[in-house]
Amino acid sequence: MPSDSPFTAANREAALVRRQALDGPYVLLTFEHPEVAHRARAGQFVMIKAGTSAEPPLRRPFSVLGVDPEAGTFSLFLKAIGPGTRALAGLAPGELAQCLGPLGRPFTAPAPDHEALLVAGGYGIAPFHLFAEERRRAGGRARVFYGGRTAADLQVQQPFAAMGIPLVAATDDGSLGHHGRVTEAVERYLDTTPGPVTLYACGPDAMLHAVARLAARRGLPAQVSLDPWMGCGIGTCLGCVVWIQSRAEPRPRYRCACTEGPVFDAREVVWPGDEASPARRDELAAPAAAAATEAR
Amino acid sequence: MSAATATVPRLAVEIGALRLKNPLLAASGTFGYGVECAGLLDLSSLGGLVTKGLYLEPRDGCPTPRIVETPSGLLNAIGLQGVGVRAFVEKVLPALRAYDTAVLVNVCGDTVEEYAEVTRIVDQAEGVAGVEINISCPNVKKGGMAFGGDPRLTSEVVSAVRRATRLSVIPKLSPNVADIAVFARVSEEAGADALSCINTLLGLAIDVEARRPRLAFGTGGLSGPAIRPIAVRMAWQAARAVKIPVIGIGGIASAADALEFLIAGCRAVQIGTANFVDPGIYDRVRAGLEDYLRRHGLDDVNRVVGTLRYPGLPAAEELGG
Repeated sequence: MPSDSPFTAANREAALVRRQALDGPYVLLTFEHPEVAHRARAGQFVMIKAGTSAEPPLRRPFSVLGVDPEAGTFSLFLKAIGPGTRALAGLAPGELAQCLGPLGRPFTAPAPDHEALLVAGGYGIAPFHLFAEERRRAGGRARVFYGGRTAADLQVQQPFAAMGIPLVAATDDGSLGHHGRVTEAVERYLDTTPGPVTLYACGPDAMLHAVARLAARRGLPAQVSLDPWMGCGIGTCLGCVVWIQSRAEPRPRYRCACTEGPVFDAREVVWPGDEASPARRDELAAPAAAAATEAR
Repeated sequence: MSAATATVPRLAVEIGALRLKNPLLAASGTFGYGVECAGLLDLSSLGGLVTKGLYLEPRDGCPTPRIVETPSGLLNAIGLQGVGVRAFVEKVLPALRAYDTAVLVNVCGDTVEEYAEVTRIVDQAEGVAGVEINISCPNVKKGGMAFGGDPRLTSEVVSAVRRATRLSVIPKLSPNVADIAVFARVSEEAGADALSCINTLLGLAIDVEARRPRLAFGTGGLSGPAIRPIAVRMAWQAARAVKIPVIGIGGIASAADALEFLIAGCRAVQIGTANFVDPGIYDRVRAGLEDYLRRHGLDDVNRVVGTLRYPGLPAAEELGG
């Protein structure tokens, strides 16, 4: 409910305009949706489901990959691995999806003299295409760090090359770029560059947490785009809440990733497993209290 | 089509003293406090809306994961996260008063006294049409379903809320009982103006790889089309057991679904999980209801209420009701 941005989402049927199969389970889908095409900003998302069938019941959230305001279309990058994503990936041009968007808070632009380091894991690359375009239009510098298990996971590289934005790849198996974690590639870059940077991250929770730790250690501003299970996208189901410790508040509070995120200041996110995590505190509370006393 | 059936059928219904412009309400826990959805649909087009459950104090709710999809359903354990009744009255209610729709506040409590106290605060506020008593949430450790699973406690809570307000009092009954008719009757005797039937069904989904519940809370409440036949059956049983109106809830996603409840004897319905799937559902269901009434030559939605032709039971109209 609390939102400092005007609600600009539109709920409508969206026809699939173009379907571009990539390697493996990855696919690029372009839908007709004028409101998303005109209003979406980097980091925002849509709730979308294929057709009107009862299965699977819920829509799915996806970051907006790109927009074409003139054509009134937007595109999504997705990995077809579950029933919802497979149904979307199976749409033929002309077929309809139910689509609500754009939703959520976008990334906040870095300070004018900052280079934006866009750290992506797998399909977490999605919001950075639009973000790179925004940075380029603003005349800002950006650099992409793109990690995955293997080279085939790094499907969206060409648009960055086309924009002249440098991209550093990292794969767990060494099949492309840095052999190891994407955050290691980021650290290497930080060790060599003297300029001020702001970190932006989207990908698996473990990677986001690693970026947050890295940013905290080096005192860098960082924004992370979280991707919890989401039911509605408009703040009514309360399924996607995350613990956020705002500097303005005395204690952490559950906030909806859909309306108050999905982009959060990395310093405010209370990560699961962290000492400060209220969830962890609850988990430890009863049984651990006695054990801790004994241990002393 | 004759001239008579070409007119727009009447959709207004009465729930005790409450007059609703149509029989479609948004169910508690699926529509926030209403204002969240105001950018997506005209709240004034709703017969009414029921707020997320409210206690005296704000609550964090359950840890995550809180929702999982199941076949044609949604299993949730949100745990009544909420801003507390005072914050609702001060910060949210003024905005809701701009809309011409019946606002029902879903009241919760850990104790009978808390239910009554929340109700008294709601009763003093301007712009509330009634209270729905949450005695059926399966996702809280105290209160909730414990009250709705014991006829004596149900009676105590309904009586206490009844004494605390002159607004319409509508207990929301739990399906997790052997005979819902018993709870319908004790609620009626304790002064309820109407009944909401049903809340979610207690469920458990298991991650077989981890051998753990898929919800952090463990069990959860099942909603969505998966529960509709059970909900229709229980709403029908409740409607037959009492004279006060029953509001049907459970897996409604279309006009036909809503009509099942109306035909079974419900005077109105609430749409729940479908709000998550399509916030634009109300226009579609309302248009479908009107279409149905026209096709059946009926000028008023009340004329389908309780018209189930059940083997051995004459329909209400055939009884001359």
